[in-house]
Amino acid sequence: MTFQELLPTSHLSEATRAELTQRLAATSQAAAYEPQFFAPETYQLFVAVAARLFPQPERPVPIPLIAAVDKRLAEGQSDGWRYDALPPDREAYRLGLGGIEQIAQALFQKNFEQLEPAQKDAVIESLASGNPPGEIWQSLKATRFFEEMLAELTENYYAHPWAQDEIGYVGYADLPSWVNIGLNQKDAREQ
Amino acid sequence: MPDEEIAEEGVLTPLDTPVQDPLLREILAENQAAATPQEQSQPTPTKQEEVDCVVIGLGAGGAPLLARLAQAGLKVVALEAGPWHDPTKDFATDEKAQNFLFWNDERLAAGGNPLAMGRNNSGTGVGGSTLHYTAYTPRPLPDDLTLKRDFGQGEDWPLTYDELAPYYEEVEQFLGVSGPTPYPWGPARPKGYVLPPLPLNSAAQLMVRGAEKLGIRTSPAANAALSAPYFQEGVGWRQACTNRGFCQAGCSNGAKSSMDVTYIPVAVKFGADIRPNSFVTEIERNAQGLVSAVVYTQNGQQHRQACRHLFLCGGAVETPRLLLLNNLGLTSGQVGRNLMAHTGIQVWGTFEEEVRPTKGIPGGLISQDTHRPQDADFVGGYLLQSIGVMPVTFASQAARGRKLWGQAMRDYMRQFNHVAGINILGDCLPHADNFMELSDELDARQLPKPRLHFTAQDNEVRMTAHAEKKMRAIWEAAGATDIWAFDRYAHVIGTARMGRSGDDAVVDRDGRAFDVPNLYISDNSTFPSALSVNPALTIMALSLRTADKFLARERRRDS
Repeated sequence: MTFQELLPTSHLSEATRAELTQRLAATSQAAAYEPQFFAPETYQLFVAVAARLFPQPERPVPIPLIAAVDKRLAEGQSDGWRYDALPPDREAYRLGLGGIEQIAQALFQKNFEQLEPAQKDAVIESLASGNPPGEIWQSLKATRFFEEMLAELTENYYAHPWAQDEIGYVGYADLPSWVNIGLNQKDAREQ
Repeated sequence: MPDEEIAEEGVLTPLDTPVQDPLLREILAENQAAATPQEQSQPTPTKQEEVDCVVIGLGAGGAPLLARLAQAGLKVVALEAGPWHDPTKDFATDEKAQNFLFWNDERLAAGGNPLAMGRNNSGTGVGGSTLHYTAYTPRPLPDDLTLKRDFGQGEDWPLTYDELAPYYEEVEQFLGVSGPTPYPWGPARPKGYVLPPLPLNSAAQLMVRGAEKLGIRTSPAANAALSAPYFQEGVGWRQACTNRGFCQAGCSNGAKSSMDVTYIPVAVKFGADIRPNSFVTEIERNAQGLVSAVVYTQNGQQHRQACRHLFLCGGAVETPRLLLLNNLGLTSGQVGRNLMAHTGIQVWGTFEEEVRPTKGIPGGLISQDTHRPQDADFVGGYLLQSIGVMPVTFASQAARGRKLWGQAMRDYMRQFNHVAGINILGDCLPHADNFMELSDELDARQLPKPRLHFTAQDNEVRMTAHAEKKMRAIWEAAGATDIWAFDRYAHVIGTARMGRSGDDAVVDRDGRAFDVPNLYISDNSTFPSALSVNPALTIMALSLRTADKFLARERRRDS
């Protein structure tokens, strides 16, 4: 069963339903979201980077990945740790996104957002490789920054009900219990 | 006055406006960083009436002894930094929604193998990290405690397995651990597990298949989650596990034996005063150097609680942080030292069969055949475990470990329901380069952030290589394709070690601080070596033992 089919059923606890309903509602609001932390142009750049890290051509409205990051940074929230090699999250994101522009300029003499999809991917490849061009990367550790950014966006993506439909995950519909838990076994609502 | 406004009551309320000028902001920030919290003197709140014991932290280290002390009739107050949750209302089956269970104050991870904290190993709330532990509760084997004797490296415990065994039994019986009887490894036990093992999920079945082909013995694992309804003295009936598989977050029906549904209800029944959302900042001492009171903040209000004895149970980061901040118990020079983390490399593979890795107890299966491998080129050993996983955690690891992004990530995750994993839990030796210190960066509470230095040394690197080879072979034998390894380190151990002398240890074998006779430490910080099993069961056993030794000492003093 899909998320939409399962959501109203008694397979979800009230707590789970409330959470997922809220996350779905935030999807349509994301387009109108006004960044609280990033400058508007940095926010747009980040959205463009996210569109290559998680390309979603099949969706009229993509799963939003950046509004949650902006909100987190504005509120000063943390996940409990960071690499000592990186500056604090706010600084790391500001610098890192500036660094992505520097890579785009060094490789293609254009802003990231003006590049063709394949060129954008080349910029990201360069960052992921750990030794990108640009002055910022002399002081900001590229591999760690890329890892942190990618992990945060990945978590935002796969926490979304649409992404969970995509991978066939229905674990949120856990009531009253799972009976068939072995290899090749499925309960009715997993069909 | 442009920077202030006068409220209706006539009270001046300074406006909290952000400083716009970058240079001024930098100067202000530097000044703020230069002032340590100890220098910011604040008015002292009135002392609350003295109690027998204050317990700081309500995880596996604090909760069992709190129950024991309350049962003995002592007046006890427990201060827990996090909130007290209602499992049915608060524990949604959603990974992001459960982030509040983790200790999210930022810690700095340094060294060659920086330790992931938060979700990986640190909890908060009434129940501590047991709210999100997977409840995997194997006992250590006797020679886990004698590494130095056996190998000339690492440390021996100042306790023997036989001294701990009755406490393991008590904890297992009380929590309702589900496990195999007889247990295939280690010495014979007077009593079996009270409940049969939980059912094997897909990952466990696959590990059985692979291990059998290689001649590795496996067994359903011991898990502190109920395979049948269970009556618990002082708690009542608890429901059986529903195979929800969400054990790395809060259990919504109380089948997982976290502290909030086991020892804490007992403590409450016997009159323990539990104060959630209470963050301790200061530990006061009297003229004799004994702890006399603790200062804590609860919901923005500062309080001061006088006590005759203090039990510090904050875990291997917050416990040494409190000691360092308060210049307490430091004469051995060992506070913050000997930071260890379990080797915990995971191996993932893709199977033709449908696995659906989110169902059932995550750690369904165990093998301790690798406890002392014959072909080992390292000290100590490890256990093997099948693992279930939730999608956000798995995807995040695929991002960090494989650097997958774009279409490649989406394609890989599309076969999530065919993925299964195994991992190890292995020993780690203390090393001078691995330690925790206070940094000069302040957190949101204006306290110095802890910095954890961790670099895997030769022994950890060799053990991990041995284990990776073994697990890849098991997964190949089980029929996996696209096998990859995610190198990780789990639980933080050490930083306030127990030992025989105050020259090289912070606490004695009873958990009592050598420097401060009315201070006890009960958590994973006191472990002299990491052990080749998950720490929670041993933390609980030591917690009960510490309470018993303390109570015996008190009785002797009274008589």
